[in-house]
Amino acid sequence: MKVTFRGGVHPDDKKGLSRDAQLRIFDPEGDLIFPLSQHIGKPARAIVKKNDPVLVGQCIAEPDGFVSAGIYCSCSGTVKAVEKRRTLSGAMADCIVVENDHEYRPVEGLGKRLETNGLTSEEILSRIKNAGIVGLGGAGFPTHVKLAPKDPSAIRFVIANGAECEPYLTCNDQLMRQNADGIVEGLEITLRLFPNAKGVICIEKNKPEAIEAMQKAIAGKDRLEVLPLKTKYPQGGEHSLIKVVAGVDYPIANLPADVGCVVCNVGTLYAVGRAVQWNEPLFTHVLTVSGEAVKNPGNFIVRDGTSFSELLNACGGLKDNVVLKKALTGGPMMGFALSTLDVPVQKTSNGLTLFTEDGSEKAEKEMTACLRCGRCTTVCPTGLMPQMMASAVEFGEYDRYENKLHGLECVACGSCSYICPAKRPLTETFKAAKAEIMARKRAAQAGGKK
Amino acid sequence: MNNTLNLSSGPHIRDRWTTPFIMGCVLLALLPTAVVGVVVNGLHALWVILVCMLACFLTELLFDKLCHRPNTFLDGSALVTGLLLALCLSPTVPLYIPIIGGIFAILVVKCCFGGLGKNFINPALAARCFLLISFGNTMTKFPTVDGVTSATPVAELLSGKAVDVTRMFLGTTNGVIGSSVLAMLVGGLLLWAFDIIHGEICFSVLIGFTVFMGLFGGQGFDPAYLAANICGGGVVMAAFFMATDYVTSPVSRLGQLTYGLLIGILGGLLRVFGASADSFSYCVIIGNLFTPLIDTYVVPKPYAFRKREIEMRAGTRQPFRIPKPVIALTVITLLAGLALSGAYTVTKPNIDAQKEAARAEAYRIVIPEAEEFEFLTKEVEALGGGTYGTSFGKVKINEAVVGKTADGSIAGYAVSVTSSEGYEGDITLSLGVKPDGTVNGITYTELNETPGKGSLCGEPAFMDQFSGRNVDKFILLKDGGASQETEIDGVSGATWSSKASVNAVNAGLDFLSQIRGE
Repeated sequence: MKVTFRGGVHPDDKKGLSRDAQLRIFDPEGDLIFPLSQHIGKPARAIVKKNDPVLVGQCIAEPDGFVSAGIYCSCSGTVKAVEKRRTLSGAMADCIVVENDHEYRPVEGLGKRLETNGLTSEEILSRIKNAGIVGLGGAGFPTHVKLAPKDPSAIRFVIANGAECEPYLTCNDQLMRQNADGIVEGLEITLRLFPNAKGVICIEKNKPEAIEAMQKAIAGKDRLEVLPLKTKYPQGGEHSLIKVVAGVDYPIANLPADVGCVVCNVGTLYAVGRAVQWNEPLFTHVLTVSGEAVKNPGNFIVRDGTSFSELLNACGGLKDNVVLKKALTGGPMMGFALSTLDVPVQKTSNGLTLFTEDGSEKAEKEMTACLRCGRCTTVCPTGLMPQMMASAVEFGEYDRYENKLHGLECVACGSCSYICPAKRPLTETFKAAKAEIMARKRAAQAGGKK
Repeated sequence: MNNTLNLSSGPHIRDRWTTPFIMGCVLLALLPTAVVGVVVNGLHALWVILVCMLACFLTELLFDKLCHRPNTFLDGSALVTGLLLALCLSPTVPLYIPIIGGIFAILVVKCCFGGLGKNFINPALAARCFLLISFGNTMTKFPTVDGVTSATPVAELLSGKAVDVTRMFLGTTNGVIGSSVLAMLVGGLLLWAFDIIHGEICFSVLIGFTVFMGLFGGQGFDPAYLAANICGGGVVMAAFFMATDYVTSPVSRLGQLTYGLLIGILGGLLRVFGASADSFSYCVIIGNLFTPLIDTYVVPKPYAFRKREIEMRAGTRQPFRIPKPVIALTVITLLAGLALSGAYTVTKPNIDAQKEAARAEAYRIVIPEAEEFEFLTKEVEALGGGTYGTSFGKVKINEAVVGKTADGSIAGYAVSVTSSEGYEGDITLSLGVKPDGTVNGITYTELNETPGKGSLCGEPAFMDQFSGRNVDKFILLKDGGASQETEIDGVSGATWSSKASVNAVNAGLDFLSQIRGE
């Protein structure tokens, strides 16, 4: 097995800010807000209405269709409203608002150990589906769909993604250090779905404690392996991990399953273990609050629906005499900028990173014309030519962009923008170009139908 | 909503490197070259450099201001252009040259095409070529250390003269300000090590050039010859600082290799068959012009679309095997090479014996009284094997012998001389003289001249003219009518062959007169 992929960048990982902060459970003060769309696929359908009493772990919204996921309440209390609220995308979206009674009364059977011996694949998948589990790495693809490829016997590797290559984020590091056995439990249950697969736990080498903890946890289990990886962004990307573990690159049109792999975040696997073995749906997950603006960066087990501003307060607030310039959900490479902190944490939120300096604003000031230095081409993990792609977009050559340069293969990891000495907004350009090409295709199709 | 935070698309952090930083690195890398240039060539070189950089900087500044364009003069690229241009100028140019050059480079080549990143050829090189064409005399006047102008080493190299490679390497010869190969290598290799310039370009330029010179330069892979060619004519400057200019070189690795090889091979071509000492500047510019073409067509596929990856995914990937024809060809070539060298080794003594017999036979003809011959190996070796003398054209003394009679007294001397100036190539003849210097006779051992014309030199009518005469030097009368002892009638219609023969005889006489004098 190779220990890294081609390309990539080495941003300062800044994990020292929070890497040794133990996970702690955070109980919010205010209302909890649950957006109905926290995953890829159709939004969930609310099954509670105003003034309904709810309990911890109670299903408050059902999956609407196969590619969808249910939503589970993370506190006990009363439904205050089902209405449009601002979510972390900045837009108003349908949400269930629950008033917290701070008692955290669980639904019946929550956390009770279930028999798992002799479960069929369908039973395991239905338990995962009924726990509302989605990929916690960021994309939020419903896990029961991901774990049900056409031919489970063709899967060679189940990859537990503990790379955590985003700078600042340390919550998965802490999860692996503190709950290694829980992750292994989830991974073993997942492996039952794939008779010919091997479980590979991938961790970047900048997390030696996590590597040690996971190695201890898999001792004596011959289907499992811990693979320390070179510290390099985007090592934790699906394509990068599969290149490392299975040794193949694959087009973006293919799924990992097409090359015999399934990739799950370690947090997702932990949730699978909790759901299948302990009857606990997904309503908490780990999250890092970090960044230069934060007084005491920390790692939390956070309840879905908690407001980000409360999490900041839990960290002692902002440092004295600093102005918050930028807030991100997730890390600085692929995270999304927030316009306000008064939005709820979703299932896929794995970080809150707060900066006193806006890197994008600074970059805009330093921007020059493209030098054609070619740095972007050397760091692209997909082997694309970002410089040529950007100039194709500039001249409106979408045909060359798509067919000659394979521009739609871009995974938007941000490495090219990061490395560009001229500070060109490359990744942004490619996201826009992708949207433009898709729109043109849809328009052409619609035109064809007439 | 005055507390709304900034929104932007990821990534939200950026690498520390900026455009001015890269330009600063290039300036630093050029610093050693500039320092050596100033130390070797004196203070005027410093003025040339400063004036040139200032001219470039001010041109860009003025253009930005007058045309209301965003201020780009602070990015440092104008300074790099200015320094590069200055390093390509003679240290004695009057200061209006760097000013005109700087303005041309920035205004015409760079700003008029859209500024940084848009120029289609390297501004510094374009300005240099512009100056070369416009101010030819001033531009190519290079001082030596004692103030006398003379040709640069590469010009001497082109005319087949020997050059001092060590001095070229150190940059202490006459030439442009930036002619220290050592300093350029230090800067260039540092840039490469810090990943600022692409090794694909600089090394492919050097390799392309070296291999071409080795194959077609006419002197094989002679290290001294290749080193002299690489150290001269701005090859190193072009490879590390000119061809690697980001803006005018391809972006993909394969494109960069193509581009570098193109420049290197073109450079070799013009060095071998061209007459200009500045050919490398033109080569880089031609390479620049090919860049858009290369960038349009040489586009590597993403990893997932490469043949190897597709085969690996499909499971049809075969472990790499050397194709059979390659193995077969290698084996055949090796066997043929072995057979040839074997045959040569076996027959070499024979060939040598035959050649020796032919020569011995020739000596016997020109010194008929001699019973045995003693080779004057030491005296011939003392000549060093090069062209003999200065007034005989391209002649070479091959061998000389002393002929002795049976009782040991000297019967005469003989010498084998080759002139390379025959009409059809080499003419080799043996000349024999008596101990007092009277010519016994000549005979040809190699005469491949035109039948019926040059070949008539081998007839007694021509050859016998030399016999029995005792002169220091023969004079050829190509139109006939010889009356003096020193005069020889040329073969009519074969001036070259006659002249080469007489030159060879004169060279032999000259050489033998020294031997006899000892």
